[in-house]
Amino acid sequence: MKKLIRIVVNGKLFKVRVDYYRTLLEVLREDLHLTGTKNGCNEGECGACTVLLEGKAVYSCLILALDADGREITTIEGLLKEGKLDPLQQSFVEYGAIQCGFCTPGMILSAKALLEENPSPSEGEIKTALAGNLCRCTGYKKIVAAVLAASQRS
Amino acid sequence: MKNFKYFEPRTIEEACHLLSRYKDKAKILAGGTDLLVQMKREAVDLRYLVNIKKIDNLNCILSQDNLLRIGALVTHKELIDSTVVEKDFSILKEACLAVGTVQIRNLGTLIGNICNASPSADTVPTFIALGAKLKIVSTRRERTVLVEDFFAAPFQTILEPDEMVTEVEIPYPTLNKCFVWGGCYSWLPKITTTDETLIGVAIFLEIALERGRLEQVRIALGSVAPTVMRARESEEFLVGNKIDAKVFQEGGQIAANEIAPRSRAEYRRHLAGVLVEKSLNLAAERALRSGQFEETN
Repeated sequence: MKKLIRIVVNGKLFKVRVDYYRTLLEVLREDLHLTGTKNGCNEGECGACTVLLEGKAVYSCLILALDADGREITTIEGLLKEGKLDPLQQSFVEYGAIQCGFCTPGMILSAKALLEENPSPSEGEIKTALAGNLCRCTGYKKIVAAVLAASQRS
Repeated sequence: MKNFKYFEPRTIEEACHLLSRYKDKAKILAGGTDLLVQMKREAVDLRYLVNIKKIDNLNCILSQDNLLRIGALVTHKELIDSTVVEKDFSILKEACLAVGTVQIRNLGTLIGNICNASPSADTVPTFIALGAKLKIVSTRRERTVLVEDFFAAPFQTILEPDEMVTEVEIPYPTLNKCFVWGGCYSWLPKITTTDETLIGVAIFLEIALERGRLEQVRIALGSVAPTVMRARESEEFLVGNKIDAKVFQEGGQIAANEIAPRSRAEYRRHLAGVLVEKSLNLAAERALRSGQFEETN
């Protein structure tokens, strides 16, 4: 069974016919070809699939696409504005917070959601906000430093 | 996971009719943070998916008739951000912050979490310590059940296949100059802080100020038995006793002997004693501190 859904992704309206059982993650990657969002565990534990749903960080692998009908989503692709990196993205680059890059889109979006709500977080608050995003490469220190630096700049 | 029919009822009545028609072949979708995982693991026989998110008035947090009422669609994040909860029942906020990760708290509902009935669920001990009740509806009847009586076994509730929970109600403790109350939720994880809870302790206690004695005590323990349990022997020992570090230590030891964990029993027993003692001290401290505010007004 399929349903026609309307979703706003990164400010743009998309109309997609989706099977009932497909997740938002699958539809973003396979139908909208926004492959910045990654599939790590597919069960809401690793955070690689993190997107923003009306500004709130969520696991897109745990949302049925038809449940996203009428909603506003931000993916990592949405942070690039007119060819310019978001300050968070810039900070990640400068602080060496990216190694293989697989966790990075999810990490940055979780950090983005944090800074929107809490522009001057403490290190502890940053760690809590990123607790739902796993990284196998960096050991997290540089990621936390990058988020702290980005918050201090703005 | 593949072939199911999908419904978006607009009212509770519509949802109840669907449940009464399809019974245990129907599953309710609220936050979906548990259901989607089960669907992917094919651990659920899903034929009819009932998305309740289009139903009005299920996402309210209301202080009404001496009750705090939390609707079925309220997410953990919404509760954490609620000024009413912060003011009146901050221990609930404390408990919600222990649930999952930011992403789970943004989507997952409190009641969905309760209905998932994990023995280690983080908000359940606090709801039990506060004497909370669940409002359960169906086309046949409406009933109210104490959260404490809601669980039959791990991941099993007493809900009939045609029933759904619409809200959780927490009674306000009596507020007057003679009594103060305090509570807390403390917990330890299995490995990491976003991991499963190894042991959770929720305390609610009421102190009779003049006599300096415990008027009421409720201790609810999570992840130490098939369902979240009350440490009733410890409560019985504590009620009427003075506010005293030694009393709390003994209360902790009695509670530790009441638990019935499935695994890591010795470690859990040790932790139960320590955590209950610490939590009783903290709850009493908070109760007495809240009384000070009243006196200076």
